[in-house]
Amino acid sequence: MIGGDEWWVLLIKIVVVVLGLVTIAAYLTLAERKVSARIQLRIGPNRVGPYGMLQPAADAVKMLFKENTAPSNRDRLLFLVGPSLAAGAALLSFAFIPLGINNWFNYQFHWDVGHANVGLLFILGVSSYGVYALFLGGWAANSKYSLLGGLRASAQLISYEMAVAFALIGAVIIAGSLDLEQIVHAQQGAWFIVLQPLAFLLYFTGAFAETNRAPFDLPEAETELVAGYHTEYSSLRFGLYFLGEYVNMVVVSSIATTLFLGGWLPIFPFHPFDWIPGPLWFLGKVAVLIFVMMWVRWTFPRLRYDRLMSFGWKVLLPLGLVNILITGTVVALRA
Amino acid sequence: MTLLLGIVMLLAAISALGVVLSRQTLYSALSLVVTLSMVAVIFLLLNAQFLFAVQIIIYAGAVMVLFVFIIALLNPEAEDRPAFDWRSWIGIAAVAGITILVFVTARNGITYNDGGLRGAQIGRVSDPYHTFSFPPDAVNAAGNVQTVAGQLFTTFILPFEITSLLLLVAAIGAVYLTRREHSGS
Repeated sequence: MIGGDEWWVLLIKIVVVVLGLVTIAAYLTLAERKVSARIQLRIGPNRVGPYGMLQPAADAVKMLFKENTAPSNRDRLLFLVGPSLAAGAALLSFAFIPLGINNWFNYQFHWDVGHANVGLLFILGVSSYGVYALFLGGWAANSKYSLLGGLRASAQLISYEMAVAFALIGAVIIAGSLDLEQIVHAQQGAWFIVLQPLAFLLYFTGAFAETNRAPFDLPEAETELVAGYHTEYSSLRFGLYFLGEYVNMVVVSSIATTLFLGGWLPIFPFHPFDWIPGPLWFLGKVAVLIFVMMWVRWTFPRLRYDRLMSFGWKVLLPLGLVNILITGTVVALRA
Repeated sequence: MTLLLGIVMLLAAISALGVVLSRQTLYSALSLVVTLSMVAVIFLLLNAQFLFAVQIIIYAGAVMVLFVFIIALLNPEAEDRPAFDWRSWIGIAAVAGITILVFVTARNGITYNDGGLRGAQIGRVSDPYHTFSFPPDAVNAAGNVQTVAGQLFTTFILPFEITSLLLLVAAIGAVYLTRREHSGS
């Protein structure tokens, strides 16, 4: 079916990936606060533990023990489904991302939960469940700010999903596969960021919109919508939305790494670069991309909503189509 | 594996019942999302990975999102749902009858190899009996996406292009209709 692991190997992998992603997401909140502090010439959180390293733990405890308020006119079931789905879809879409392959004693170990012929399509499909999470969450709260935020979020996600998918097709055409491991293997000569610079730019721009981050954070624009779709959520429910958002950052950065930055491949294929294990290369590249995302958030102002939509449909999408056309022609002529 | 398939099928059946029996229209639509997702998982368990991904992207990701949007925003009241009276039983009987008929005929083995399928005749390559046999292992060895694409762009190129033309016509029609409403008001 998917992957070839024993069930207990699969179970261990799932537990490790979920716990790992939750921990990474928690520390990304700290990283975000530190980065924003540096950019704004502040120090940032430094009271809890050395250099504020225990701040995420303190935040998590605070979030758990806060009063769980909820509007009385809410849709009870969907008010619960929204945040759970937001976190669940984000965690699930990481399942097929390969962090590396190792051969130990004739046992081929894949650093992923599952691998399939259609890995990339799977990620695109699962991320579309995130649209439900934001829209239903905003709708179920029965509040105007939430509804408007949910509507904006879903319209934005649907529009930019198109642009993002078109940007990815360029890399898929060159690799000749939707299997993420094979896409990485195809980059052994040159990373696709060299062959597909336009596609990388388009994807990474769209990724900001997909993760609802500045300068495209219209769904939760504080100046207009209080907090958008999660205005009415508090305590752990808000925590789940927060978790989903940060895990999504990891996921989009991982996709960009896999498709354009050579995945687990070292920057140069000789010593001493290939002494560093593949998964570390992968995580390092992801960390760089996430830092860029934070950097952009604290540098650029927010777009206006109509500008955001026309940028997606009239700039990103046509450029993606042109990229596909050029890539397809070149690949067909070389074949 | 069989147990997993059973659980998924059971979930699909339960959520399909939810589509019909939910009191709120939005819950019906969301049950349909669950049903379509479960059908996708059945595709995956049956080794049809490409169908699995496409089912999720198109039905759960695109079609149903629009359904849910419209239902949630227009918010039809629960009272608008038709009452359940004797006429409903005729409908239920008809649906049950057709379903049973479909299953019976499917068991008796209608195959596409008799030349009944128009697309097969249009794009027939050589041997129809080999064009249509796709054992899962062979397909996955050659690549699931590659096999589907190969068929779509060789054997079925004409029906495929005609379908895309139909979609284009529908899209242009939708744009035209909304534009005319604008200038009229």
